[in-house]
Amino acid sequence: MVVVGLSHRTAPIEVRERFAIAEAQLGEFAKNVQSLDGVSEAFVVSTCNRLEVYAVAEDGAPSPELAIIETIASWGKQPSADVRRFVYTRLDRDALLHLFHVTASLDSLVVGEPQILGQVKSAFECAGHAGTLGPYLQRCVPRALAAAKRVRTETSIGAGNVSVSSVAVDLAEQIFGDLSQCEALLVGAGEMAEAAARSFGKRTRALRVCNRSFDRGAALARAIGAGVATWESLGHELTTADVVIAGTSATEFVITHEMVNKARRDRRGRSLFFIDIAVPRNVDPKVHKIDNVYVFNVDDLENQVQTAQERRQGARDLASSIINEELTAHEHWALSLGVQPTLVALRASARAVFRSELERTLATRLKHLGPEERAALEQMLDSAVSKWLHRPTTALKEAAARGESQSLVEATAALFNVETEEGTETRDASGDEDAVRH
Amino acid sequence: MVWADLTFIVTALVYLIASVAFGAHLTAASRAQSSRFANAAPFLLGTGVLMHSSHILVASFALRVCPVEGVHFAMSVLAVGIAGVYLVVRTRFNLNALGAVVGPFALTFLLASRFAFSRVGETASPIHRALLPFHVAANVLGIALFTLAFAAAVAYLFQERQLKRKELGGLFRRLPPLDALDRAEHRLLLAGFPLLTLGILTGTIWARGVEVGDSASVARAIFGYASWALFATVLLVRAAMGWRGRRAAYGTIVGYGFTLAVILVYLLRPAMTHAALQPGDASQASAEVAQP
Repeated sequence: MVVVGLSHRTAPIEVRERFAIAEAQLGEFAKNVQSLDGVSEAFVVSTCNRLEVYAVAEDGAPSPELAIIETIASWGKQPSADVRRFVYTRLDRDALLHLFHVTASLDSLVVGEPQILGQVKSAFECAGHAGTLGPYLQRCVPRALAAAKRVRTETSIGAGNVSVSSVAVDLAEQIFGDLSQCEALLVGAGEMAEAAARSFGKRTRALRVCNRSFDRGAALARAIGAGVATWESLGHELTTADVVIAGTSATEFVITHEMVNKARRDRRGRSLFFIDIAVPRNVDPKVHKIDNVYVFNVDDLENQVQTAQERRQGARDLASSIINEELTAHEHWALSLGVQPTLVALRASARAVFRSELERTLATRLKHLGPEERAALEQMLDSAVSKWLHRPTTALKEAAARGESQSLVEATAALFNVETEEGTETRDASGDEDAVRH
Repeated sequence: MVWADLTFIVTALVYLIASVAFGAHLTAASRAQSSRFANAAPFLLGTGVLMHSSHILVASFALRVCPVEGVHFAMSVLAVGIAGVYLVVRTRFNLNALGAVVGPFALTFLLASRFAFSRVGETASPIHRALLPFHVAANVLGIALFTLAFAAAVAYLFQERQLKRKELGGLFRRLPPLDALDRAEHRLLLAGFPLLTLGILTGTIWARGVEVGDSASVARAIFGYASWALFATVLLVRAAMGWRGRRAAYGTIVGYGFTLAVILVYLLRPAMTHAALQPGDASQASAEVAQP
């Protein structure tokens, strides 16, 4: 298997956006890749942070990475020399490991983000609909998805929020519970405050903008669908708001201890949460000491972000060991493909011998048996074959997992006089699995 | 009594497992594990409530004692009440995590019921004896509600402290939101207060009727009135002056402390007033009718 891709690690957004592929076109692009010489299977993942093409080369065919780079370049209408500067290539085990890491969100810009799992899943479905999947990808992509789910459930890789806005919203929810009953007040009209206010605006019952320049505040309020309040009414606004986002460029405290203490009397003990994202700070830190009032500044919020990131980094080791476990299991399965033709032939041979004996007996001594009894005998025969072959099957698979199957395969062929058609069954993984399952 | 003992042991085990599951919900390393415990724990507690109810039925039929007429059974019914009220209100007030307090409380009261002791109220008139079920039922339900209010108050103080110190660990995120705890605590107090008032009134009438004057009864009355006064103050000050949050939580905890003191006096009463009888003889104790 080969993967050719570009991601946030190798290409800036200006480059990545040129090669972005919409979900509706993923199948078409995968078909283009599959039509390349020597490619039997293809699967394409495209997100805002990466474009990756996974391809399985036919036996004996040269690695198709150069042809894939050409395909990417022509899709993005860029010279292939430009594409080569940004792409990376991984082969065989490295490609597989990369797929597992990407799916488990270990290669994401924000480690542990949950979207990538869904994106890989839909890319897999698109490839399935386009008919570009074969037995190898049909086996390894679901395995990568299963490994990613294990990583999410068994580690704290997805715990905590990792952006200032999401931490602020999360904290507000830990104070108020349901934010749809809360009112938010944006003090100032700066960019940072606006970004935070947008996060709250969607969740709260009402959002008002209070800016020293009324016109600028009103313009921002219109842009984000909020109400507007005059600067002089700030003290009164503090009596009604539940969440206050302060982000003015003032060099002194805009919200003082005295103002909040005064507002507290009218608030009748309701909680008040200040998010001070201004530098220099807008809210007097002494305000945090007032009962039922909480002030979190940029440093406090970034500490939370840092903690969440550290927690996620701490989960990486455990996540990697889960991935290695799943990868090893997958490799054992892949190695066992080598003995599948022998197993299939052995089973067919055994069935043929038993069946011929059964048919002879049914035609003579047991010819009085009805259809139901005959079906029962056939079923018993199949079951006996499966049980009889259980030990040789397990031994062959275990030897294949250790990479020591050659002598056993030869011995089986000699002992049971079975002949295999190399190359025909080896790729038919799903069918063979069923054929030898006990 | 074999069935009663068997259901008692099974109930205690189920409460114990539910308490461990609630604890694991709060302390599990990953969110997925935590939510698995969060789903399983209320189910276990519910199973415990069913088992416990069947224990009370079996034991009261076997001993021919009304479940709300003896301290022994009242304590047991209190455990069911606490767990039952929690199961009813937990989704409404988003209080799932408080099971970590409720589970051990239910287990404690269940075990306490085994060792609680009753004796005959020989001097009670039939009219006063008729008040007993009302007195016990009102107190049991009231205390169940106050237990939950107490749990909410403790969780509130923990959450508030974490916020003030800006130490927001995993436990902070798994406990209910601050305002949800404050709201729940207030509503549970509001619901429990009329029941406590009824319990105090019927208890006062009873005490006058049977002319009880031993030290345990006096201590019980003092603690009972103190808890009523404290809960009344918490509710009144909140309504009149908007005292919420930390102050209300402290008031609730102290008020509940007095309520627990009343229960403790019930439990210690044999040692205080009836040393001749052997505590722990549950069958003998249960067969007797209680004083309030």
